[in-house]
Amino acid sequence: MLQCIFLLSDSGEVMLEKQLTGHRVDRSICAWFWEQSISQPDSFKVLPVIASPTHYLFQIVREGITFLACTQVEMPPLMGIEFLCRVADVLSDYLGGLNEDVIKDNFVIVYELLDEMIDNGFPLTTEPNILRDMIAPPNIVSKMLSVVTGNTSNVSDTLPGATSSCVPWRTTQLKHANNDVYVNLVEEMDTIINRHAPCDGVLVKCEIFGVVEVNSHLSGIPDLTLSFANPSILNDVQFHPCVRFRPWESEQILSFVPPDGLFKLMSYRVKKLKNTPIYVKPQMSSESGTCRLSVMVGIRNDPGKAVDSLAVQFQLPHGVSSANLTANHGTVDILADKTCSWSIGRIPKDKTPQMSGTLVLEEGMEQLNVKPTFQVDFKIMGVALSGLKINKLDLKNLPTPAHKGFRAQTEAGQYEVRS
Amino acid sequence: MHSALYKRLLRMLHLSRWRLRSLFTYICFTMLKGKRPNEALLSINIFQRDLGDQNPLVRAWALRTMAGIRLHVISPLVLVAVRKCARDPSVYVRKCAANALPKLHDLRLEENAAAIIEIIEILLNDNSPGVVGAAAAAFAFVCPNDLPVIGRNYKRLCEILPDVEEWGQIILIGILLRYVIARHGLAKESIMASLLPNIFSNEKTGSESDTGYLEIKKTYEIVLQEPELVAMVSRSYLAGPDKHLLHPNNSDVISSDYISSRFTSSKTDDNVKILLQCTLPLLWSRNSAVVLAAAGVHWIMAPMEEISKIVKPLLFLLRSSDASKYVVLCNIQVFAKVMPSLFAANIEDFFISSSDAYQVKALKLEILSSIATDASISIIFQEFQDYVRDPDRRFAADTVAAIGVCAKRNPQVANTCVEGLLALISPKSINSTSGSMDDEAVVLIQAITSIKDIIKQDPLSHENAIIYLIRNLDAIKVPVARAMIVWIVGEYNSIGNIIPKMVSIILRFLARGFPSESIETKYQILNAAVKVLLNSKEEDFDTAKSILNYVFELAKFDFNYDVRDRARVLRKLLSCYFSSSGLEEKPNNNEIRLLLVEHIFGEKVKPSTEMVNNRFYLPGSLSQIVFHAAPGYEPLPEPCSLTESDMVKGLEEEPTQAEANDSDVDSGSLNEEGSYYSEDSVTASTRTDSETTASESDNNNTDSLINLSDVGKPQEETNDLGELMSKGDLESWLDDNDNPGPSQNVAERVPSARISIGDISTRTKPKIYTLLDPTYGNGLKVIYKYSLEESAVSPPLVSVDTFFENCSSYSMSKILLTNEDSESSDQGSSLESQKDVPVFAPMEEISILEPGQTIKRVIHVHFHHHLLPLKLILWCNDKKHPVKLRPDIGFFLKPLMMDLDAFSQKESQLPGMFEYTRRCSFTDHLAELGSDGKDGDVSPTKDSFLIICQCLASKMLSNANLHLVSVNMPVDVNLNDASGLCLQFSGEILSNSIPCLVSVTLDGKCFEPLNASVKINCEETVFGLNLLNRIVNFLAEPQLTT
Repeated sequence: MLQCIFLLSDSGEVMLEKQLTGHRVDRSICAWFWEQSISQPDSFKVLPVIASPTHYLFQIVREGITFLACTQVEMPPLMGIEFLCRVADVLSDYLGGLNEDVIKDNFVIVYELLDEMIDNGFPLTTEPNILRDMIAPPNIVSKMLSVVTGNTSNVSDTLPGATSSCVPWRTTQLKHANNDVYVNLVEEMDTIINRHAPCDGVLVKCEIFGVVEVNSHLSGIPDLTLSFANPSILNDVQFHPCVRFRPWESEQILSFVPPDGLFKLMSYRVKKLKNTPIYVKPQMSSESGTCRLSVMVGIRNDPGKAVDSLAVQFQLPHGVSSANLTANHGTVDILADKTCSWSIGRIPKDKTPQMSGTLVLEEGMEQLNVKPTFQVDFKIMGVALSGLKINKLDLKNLPTPAHKGFRAQTEAGQYEVRS
Repeated sequence: MHSALYKRLLRMLHLSRWRLRSLFTYICFTMLKGKRPNEALLSINIFQRDLGDQNPLVRAWALRTMAGIRLHVISPLVLVAVRKCARDPSVYVRKCAANALPKLHDLRLEENAAAIIEIIEILLNDNSPGVVGAAAAAFAFVCPNDLPVIGRNYKRLCEILPDVEEWGQIILIGILLRYVIARHGLAKESIMASLLPNIFSNEKTGSESDTGYLEIKKTYEIVLQEPELVAMVSRSYLAGPDKHLLHPNNSDVISSDYISSRFTSSKTDDNVKILLQCTLPLLWSRNSAVVLAAAGVHWIMAPMEEISKIVKPLLFLLRSSDASKYVVLCNIQVFAKVMPSLFAANIEDFFISSSDAYQVKALKLEILSSIATDASISIIFQEFQDYVRDPDRRFAADTVAAIGVCAKRNPQVANTCVEGLLALISPKSINSTSGSMDDEAVVLIQAITSIKDIIKQDPLSHENAIIYLIRNLDAIKVPVARAMIVWIVGEYNSIGNIIPKMVSIILRFLARGFPSESIETKYQILNAAVKVLLNSKEEDFDTAKSILNYVFELAKFDFNYDVRDRARVLRKLLSCYFSSSGLEEKPNNNEIRLLLVEHIFGEKVKPSTEMVNNRFYLPGSLSQIVFHAAPGYEPLPEPCSLTESDMVKGLEEEPTQAEANDSDVDSGSLNEEGSYYSEDSVTASTRTDSETTASESDNNNTDSLINLSDVGKPQEETNDLGELMSKGDLESWLDDNDNPGPSQNVAERVPSARISIGDISTRTKPKIYTLLDPTYGNGLKVIYKYSLEESAVSPPLVSVDTFFENCSSYSMSKILLTNEDSESSDQGSSLESQKDVPVFAPMEEISILEPGQTIKRVIHVHFHHHLLPLKLILWCNDKKHPVKLRPDIGFFLKPLMMDLDAFSQKESQLPGMFEYTRRCSFTDHLAELGSDGKDGDVSPTKDSFLIICQCLASKMLSNANLHLVSVNMPVDVNLNDASGLCLQFSGEILSNSIPCLVSVTLDGKCFEPLNASVKINCEETVFGLNLLNRIVNFLAEPQLTT
């Protein structure tokens, strides 16, 4: 039972306060929260559950905005956190991103959304599709209309049919001129590679976290089944509420009535992979106050498609006073917070990208005994590195035949190379 | 808000669109906090009209806003509206009806309670899963313990569970779990089986179910490594675990039949099976809260070999939702501690990623060190080697500590660990980091602490490590680290072959540097020197003695007084060794000293067992994350506490309820009749409004005329028992001043008069609890009540008057109350770990209790603000009876004498966050008013007011140890209107002497139930809130007619 929701800007100002129950929560709790998070920046900001003197607080931070929910009684903490995440998702979807200005500009909509999403501290309507039917997202046309006609409401006066149907995520009586559905496998690769020098890196962990995204524009109430050629490689899965459990349990087939538009049908994990597409070889040697650093990047196992937007990033260790790093390809930036980022882009055909240079240590320090971790970023379009293959997609209950499309891509998730 | 503005808003309300209306009420009721109830009433009929609208959205919003007004006056109207909406054709409206029920319940009106529960049941029976979800939430909020309601729909609820929307699922899973346990008991294949007695006792009791138990026991021993911990965890999940261990006939050997009746089988019992089946697909939910709730059910109910099903989904959560990572890890940590094998195959998931927050890293480390097995330890150590070089030195230090824990757990890797740790403190690694000394010091100290802990396990095999440490003593500059090494030298000075030879050299070296050492190192040098002396053999004795003497001489002139004092004490103790003084000591005096010295220094440290955090709460609960029982936390119900008869009783009541309900609905569903009814009531309520507003205007008039605030007169001034002094005071005040006019300068004070209600101590009856029922205690009856006296033993203790009565026909002997864990305290639960645990001061034993005799004992307990029952053991005739002492937060206080001035001053110092208010209804006075109120028309104000005050004061003082500061009542009283009557109490928290102020303000008519608004001002907010809840509960509780 949440009692109150606050939205704080990145300077700690209370942008929005929404009391949910009869037990009013005083705004002073935000001041307390902000004071604490300033005095303990590293520990407080990241704790999702905080016991303040008067209330239990749940917090999430999205793009600089802190979403804070308060309660005084026992409740599942994840419920509060998940709800805040859902609010953040819906708001950023409605407002096209989140920041202080955009929330203040669309204050009314944010209030209306919160009003609809939670009633008396218990989530009411959180399905984005239904919310869209109830409260129109802000856009130029509606703004124009409101200025011209003087009618300021963007709230629908009728209840969306979906609230009463057995598929609450789908609006009834949908009509599209072109029926099409796209399935997109978006995979993220999480890797930990250990100690490069002197020998080649050891693959400690390599796994794929993937999402099956579906973008559907189908008329009526279609019934879809999606099957994979090799579902056995999936270590674990999570489903959108529209997926029926039984067919998956018995035959590992995804059978569902899709919501309209883009949604995450399922997410999955494939563990214990053996190969990484690229290698990153950092080498460090330090003596008498300086540390030589060189990093090489190259293709290890050709994924068959081009590796794009390659970048390597690492935090300069504590005790480094200045760094002088150059690369033979791409650009090296050292940011104010001592983050060094080397953006490479696409790997050239003729040479191996290499960054090298020296780190000057602080006075009195002979050598560096802490080792930075290198975070690698890349993107490969057109291939799912987990090897997951879609077998077929069947569409039933459709008035006209529809166009189907499949895509795949892999990005680096938590791709880490320890030196 | 200005009233003019308010009126305009009201007018707008009639014209505006329905969406705006909700916004309007929101503003009104957040700004006004219910200060202008009468004007708010004017808006009601608009909502009433909207309730009949064609558009379901309008109906739903009308209901939402109406329920959101939260006024007692309109609660009957809201109830009618909810009842009507609960049968609405639209799912959305029915869902809103379910959501409105908690709002109604929040008003705490007794007369609505039954109706609310009835509507909840209707909604739980709804066909639409969406409504069921909302109804489940309402159930959990309104009547979580009314489990028969669930029982009637159990199977259907289980089947509908996967279709319920995600938020409803979270709540419904918890409710179903509670029901299954209360109705069918725990599963004997699950981890909760650790409560089964046969699991631990090897004796055969000869019952037929033995083979079954043996089988369970076998799996149990394979899967779980630390059965004690498991038993502790599973016990802490349950509400009354020891109550059902009580057996009337035999308290020493617990009857297995009795216990096993509390257990069912998750393999054969259909009810348990269906719950497990229906929660299984929820582990695939995208909502992390649903996954964790479903995992919790499997954790508690599933057979141990099938719990592994929850592993993958839980680990998946760590990756799929970033925000819930921390909470999920906190829960996994408990799972992993209880059942390390569960996660042993998934160590990679707990490897640290550089983007993790510090807390997440620390949790992962802890999990890793608890799931390490022989097979995985080498991989884990490789990881740890990387972590030690992490730029975050705090985390590196934690890693070092984790290495120590792993080594203790798996002794065969201890040597590797020590080697690795020693490499950390090698001069090379120390010198290279002179730049960031502070950070490195943390790691260094932790490394030496870990080494010390490992050495403790088996000092002999780590001789080389000790020598290595000693050799590096020169390079290590951090005082704490140095002190620790010196301690190690002293402690293990006679171990192995090499150390005894080195010891004197080291000591000489240390003694020479003594003046330049830091204080803690000096202490340890002193101790080490003494230890060496005690252990030294003939040939070294003189050297040791002279070194010690040298150190003593140096210490004598130390700058630090503590060092000087310690040296002097040690010298005196060891005076027999330094018999230079020539004084003739008595020989036995010497012996005592030697004995003392031997005891202080000679005893070798035993390897201490790991300290365990002994607070566990249900998985997925808030309390588990914050490590204390959050208000409203309830452990699982007692297994099988819900009997067949409970269920039947509920069923019998049902038809009559349903009938009443039907007739109601009939009248409600007819539109004309409904509107007729509502209009009627609205006119009625507006009429009362005009009355009250009239009285308010009266109020305003009198304001300027008489302003009476009798301040600061001590209560004992008027001793007349039962005499209402308001009038008298007023007269005397008028007499004194001759002129009532000039008091306008205190116009900001609320006009009030003080009432003296005399001595009500005769009326206060502290509640009496039963500690042991004679039927369970072989005729021994023990009752207790919280005493108002301050504890004679120590101020923070709460004293409890306990009465032991022998109801049997034979005499009893050796009656004693002891702590539950008094016998288990030797297992390492040292004093430190009990710091916050309630402490029970030992009681004087009752040697004999004759039949019919009653003996009173005062026991003293330090509750440390724990509100869970304190488990004690009652010994009688050498048999033990587990009993539970229920803490009453009202008696964690002691009265704090203060006058009204001090009170109001203190109150003004504690605004905002330190002030909390709750409302409840108060009905106690009705009984007394009913008996003598009829003829009291002569002076109705006087009597009824006095009676109300007395009732309230005596109820407060019977249930909480407070001081009644004053009783204020508004001067401009209407005959029967008790509104504004205010009682103020003050107290001080026993443990920390923080003052705690309580004011109770009444509102309503004398001959009707009154609304009491309880306000607490206290700096200790958690305590204040708990106290507030307690006060509201006992005030609302109907009086027991004795």
